[in-house]
Amino acid sequence: MPTQHEINFDSLEGLYWHKLGQASFSGDLLNLFHQLDQHFVDWSKKWNSAEYQFAPFLSSSQMKKLDYFKSFPHLLTIPVVIDDDKDNLKKFADSAIDEQGKMNLSQLGEIREVLTPAACYHIYDEMEGSDFPHTQYVTTRCVCYRREKSYSPLQRQWAFSMREIVCLGAAEDVKAYLADFEEILLQFFQSQNLPVKFEYATDPFFNPATNPKYLMQKLDPVKKEMIYDGRLSIGSLNFHRSFFGETFSINTSGEPVNSACVAFGLERWMYMLLRERGLKPEAWKLA
Amino acid sequence: MKPEAEVKETLRAWIIKANGGKIKPEELLDDTPIIEERIITSLQIMDLILQLEKITGEPLDVEQLKPGVFKNIDTIYKNFCSENNRGGGEA
Repeated sequence: MPTQHEINFDSLEGLYWHKLGQASFSGDLLNLFHQLDQHFVDWSKKWNSAEYQFAPFLSSSQMKKLDYFKSFPHLLTIPVVIDDDKDNLKKFADSAIDEQGKMNLSQLGEIREVLTPAACYHIYDEMEGSDFPHTQYVTTRCVCYRREKSYSPLQRQWAFSMREIVCLGAAEDVKAYLADFEEILLQFFQSQNLPVKFEYATDPFFNPATNPKYLMQKLDPVKKEMIYDGRLSIGSLNFHRSFFGETFSINTSGEPVNSACVAFGLERWMYMLLRERGLKPEAWKLA
Repeated sequence: MKPEAEVKETLRAWIIKANGGKIKPEELLDDTPIIEERIITSLQIMDLILQLEKITGEPLDVEQLKPGVFKNIDTIYKNFCSENNRGGGEA
């Protein structure tokens, strides 16, 4: 078992930490970010995944279909605009911010979008109404936004980067994809001597006791997390059955697709490597 | 508690009704996976819990539920209705 390294985030070169939960990178840390993401993209190539780059907003009507507002209102971040009435804009301009930095927004304009909380939602949105003959593999990386009660550099952020590799198709293909990927990851963590274990988990529902979806996840676990050091989820494998296929009318040969995603939190992987391998970039290389 | 066969028939009838008739009674066996095959949905799970509370005459603590206990009619009976093993703690 290797010794873990202490990380002093106040003096970590290449990190600029915004106190409200966001991180900026430069130099070696930025290289590490890209190196990790490339590693995930290389994994996605095993399935010839098509890469997408998505916009940062998702429409609120699509999010409603996912029941997101009932299930996760506490995580949501919503981009707002000031109503463009001239007097309203002047009112805002005259007192936009108080001495503590809190904004006075005056009258807001219409809001029909949210900032994306999970990279793969864009894929189902993009594929809505489609019918394809063969199983599809898609990958994307997005900045995701989830409000939390407190933030910690690289470990818990309001804005963080998520790489996802998604399989959509017949149930047997989707199950085989998840099983193959889990095996690849198990071997990877073992060969790299990284203390990561798989654990069944549920999503962080709002008022879970009254939410049937939470109950269903407890009874029929479909989410497996990659837990680093017994405490930090650095990624997950998720089997959605035909939920997204039915919700967005995505079919394969006329039947709603099954789907699964494998998701990686980039900043948390960076944290794991810094903690396990120390601050010297040459130690971060992955085989 | 009513005899096993009677309890299982009550459960079977409830599941078929909740499913809206898409599954035929002869297709719903004691080991047919009801969640995995989406015979009942997440929204119906709450109703199934109420139904079980009616059958057993006891409240059911949802926080104590373990994976697999609602897998099929057999596991539901074994975990909630059998005198030997009540409470939903085993799969």
